[in-house]
Amino acid sequence: MNKDSNASVKGVASNLAEQLRANIQTYAIVVAMIAIWVFFSAMTEGRYVKPQNFSNLFRQMTVTSFLAIGMVPVIVTGNIDLSVGKLAGFVSVVVAYFQARIWTQVLPDQGLLTTVISVLIGLTTGTLIGMLQGYVIAYLRVPSFIVTLGGMWILNGAILLVTEGKTIPANQPALSVIAQGYLPNYVGWIIATIVVVLLFYNMFGSRRKKHQYGFELAPFYLDLLKTVIFAGLVAGYVYVVNLYNGIQIPVLLLAIAVVAMSYISNNTRFGRYAYAIGGNREAARLSGVNIRNNIFWVFTLMGFLCGVGGVALASYVGYGTIAAGAGYELDAIGSCILGGTSTLGGEGTIFGAIIGSLIMTSLTTGLQILNIQAAWQYLVKGIVLVLAVFADVYFKKRR
Amino acid sequence: MMNDNIATDGDIILDIKNVTKQFPGVTALSDVSIRIQRGKIHGICGENGAGKSTLMKILSGVYPWGDYEGTIIYEGEELRLENRSIRQAIEEGIAIVYQELTLVPSMTVGENVFLGKEPVEGAGINWDKLYADTQQLLTAYNLDIQPQAAIKHLGVGKMQMTEIAKALAENARVLILDEPTSALTEAETEKLMEILRTLKEHGVTCIYITHKIEEFFGIADSITVLRDGKVITTQPTENLNREKLVNYMVGREMTERFPKGKREPGEVILQVENLHAVDPEKSGREVVKGVTFDLHKGEILGIAGLMGSGRTELVMTIFGEYGRITKGAVTLAGQEIEVKSSHDAMLEGISLVPEDRKTHGLVLMQSVLKNISLPNLDQFASWLRIDDLAELDASLEFAQSLDIKAPSLHVPCDSLSGGNQQKVVISKWLMSKPKVLIMDDPTRGIDVGAKYEIYKLMNDLAEQGIAIIMISSELEEVLGMSDRVMVMHEGRSAGMLNIADATQEKIMALATGIANNHSGSAA
Repeated sequence: MNKDSNASVKGVASNLAEQLRANIQTYAIVVAMIAIWVFFSAMTEGRYVKPQNFSNLFRQMTVTSFLAIGMVPVIVTGNIDLSVGKLAGFVSVVVAYFQARIWTQVLPDQGLLTTVISVLIGLTTGTLIGMLQGYVIAYLRVPSFIVTLGGMWILNGAILLVTEGKTIPANQPALSVIAQGYLPNYVGWIIATIVVVLLFYNMFGSRRKKHQYGFELAPFYLDLLKTVIFAGLVAGYVYVVNLYNGIQIPVLLLAIAVVAMSYISNNTRFGRYAYAIGGNREAARLSGVNIRNNIFWVFTLMGFLCGVGGVALASYVGYGTIAAGAGYELDAIGSCILGGTSTLGGEGTIFGAIIGSLIMTSLTTGLQILNIQAAWQYLVKGIVLVLAVFADVYFKKRR
Repeated sequence: MMNDNIATDGDIILDIKNVTKQFPGVTALSDVSIRIQRGKIHGICGENGAGKSTLMKILSGVYPWGDYEGTIIYEGEELRLENRSIRQAIEEGIAIVYQELTLVPSMTVGENVFLGKEPVEGAGINWDKLYADTQQLLTAYNLDIQPQAAIKHLGVGKMQMTEIAKALAENARVLILDEPTSALTEAETEKLMEILRTLKEHGVTCIYITHKIEEFFGIADSITVLRDGKVITTQPTENLNREKLVNYMVGREMTERFPKGKREPGEVILQVENLHAVDPEKSGREVVKGVTFDLHKGEILGIAGLMGSGRTELVMTIFGEYGRITKGAVTLAGQEIEVKSSHDAMLEGISLVPEDRKTHGLVLMQSVLKNISLPNLDQFASWLRIDDLAELDASLEFAQSLDIKAPSLHVPCDSLSGGNQQKVVISKWLMSKPKVLIMDDPTRGIDVGAKYEIYKLMNDLAEQGIAIIMISSELEEVLGMSDRVMVMHEGRSAGMLNIADATQEKIMALATGIANNHSGSAA
């Protein structure tokens, strides 16, 4: 075989420019997000980026963000889940129900223990319902749109049954801490330090391993620059939120979920298969991918994340209501699409969905600070979504 | 080239002059000239890939004017079809009845015939007129269908009649039929011939494309033979017979297009005995009707046959991804195996390079790396983690040994040429270290140079002891690469030929059903 061509393939195996080009869409929406922040800061004379507002902005995005990161694999495999808002809502009223109606009778004065059990019940409920929907979609071959539309109505009924039309309080201190708590400043700095150390450890580890395999390494300063930028972002974030109350516990939970989901989608067979199924179902099937099994687990994972979102929702609003979670499914889907997930399947990243969610929340809070009425918030959100996808279609055609 | 002196004086409706059509790396049509006489039935034949379909796509506007070289004179004027304007071709009076029918199954015959040109009365459709007009049209051309019948309840033959009626409703002057009998029964074919004669009486010109050459006799006025994108001859049907046509179709020269391997087939690795399988969607339809053969280590077994002969269905069934086996057995290395999915097949050591790399072989939007590793992730992954560097290392090894030309392994597959895409598909199936490698039309749509590289690779693999089954639509390829050739016809093995005895004529005769040799497998 030809030595020269060998060298050329090997040389660019980890080409940075190539990767930059591949991720151009992600960078574009990060830039869009920063532009939105700059715009609102200018309009509000800097109030928009004050630590308190900045901290609240991130806290407000958490519930739909849990749903959005679960939605990415769902859409990537060519499916859709319309039930996630109501499933999160159902989980939130179940948690509230146990907190307010059961434990006060069965296990009074056991705040921490009962909250832990409530949370576990919430997570299990979400996961089981996700499994059930996944089973019907994957193995009984009913289209996901229909299964989850039905699921949405069923869960809406279930919410009404559990609440009996009333509001159930869920403001017990141990529960509230999940979505309303903050970490002391020094804990924030400890976490930041650990993350930065891990970033550098990862960078050196990956370089060493690439060297062992004999791959050409990217220039050291580039890798270093990338790591330093990430480390700087983490430290900067902790610094700003520490100026207010400290790291928000729900944001920390979300960050863990994002890292875990990114890892699953990029570094496991499960994730790879999901993208292959969405990219070309026939090719995936002939490559030995068990499509049904994969889609079943995609919906199970979605259910689990609805469980997490539901627990956060109960804690965040402090009660379970009949309207819990209404409309969240569309926010979650919108975030994914804004973040570059293709409705045709095969493409989409967890990181993109999070940025999409952040843009949505940034717009809403910005308009709220400017005292613009709710009607306009919807209008702006709708226009931004359609414009973003139009821009993507336009530039893809031009490329 | 033979000189054709017919049709120089007659009334020419369509004059195709020196048409050349090139695709990246392939010349699909080369200097093709055909004159079609008004009111006659003109047959066009050739092997798969001879350029018949490309020619028809040019006539119907799928490849517009300017996309090819040469001129087409239609009714005395140059035909200039605009980009993708199939509509325009129909308005000009040129209509195609495609191999795959293009009707709306949920609608009635009448609705389909007048789709897009429904008679209107006020704001609504005048249904009475629509059905009356349909009935009139059907009666005039002796088409035996009910205007109110729903398409989905009709057989293929009647659907085709509807297609023809639809074209006639557009006042088609030239009707092109592309392999019209490929899905028809004998009785339906007979009926179609009658319809074509009726059309001729009405002055409609027909271009009739098929590779079932026996159909020409008794219907076509003249016949053009295409091979490798060139017109080999155009002659009146009465000057021709079956043998002459077959000779024209396959040609005689065998050049040095195929590298010679020096392999020695070893013991039997795969045995297929009396395999019967049905369509998984319609269990009444048997697609593999009793096939027996054996395959040796280090051997290339060619499977020849026309489209629809059950070649692909047979190998997909062995690979566990198509037919449901109703009878028979598959034995690998002396042990009967039960393959329920492609995953099972790979675990047993059977790999399959699918027929259509774009729809079945690759995830086009994904990188070369991800495509190569997709079926092989088990090699690098625990349930928790894919070792991405091991994956890259192994994929790179295959990319280099197959000499895939790509700027890097991270570029998406849709940016590669056909030949390199095919190498990616082969890499992905070689990485699982198969004992039996099935290749379904491995060189379709790639240029001559890339073909040669694939052939060399196949020889190398066979020398390493891998048993290869190669399906091919090109007879020269089958003869040039195989150690033995199995010819399929209508779901059955029509015969097994040793390469020394095999000729294009013998294969063609078996494949078209003219000859039959059920003597079973020669070794």
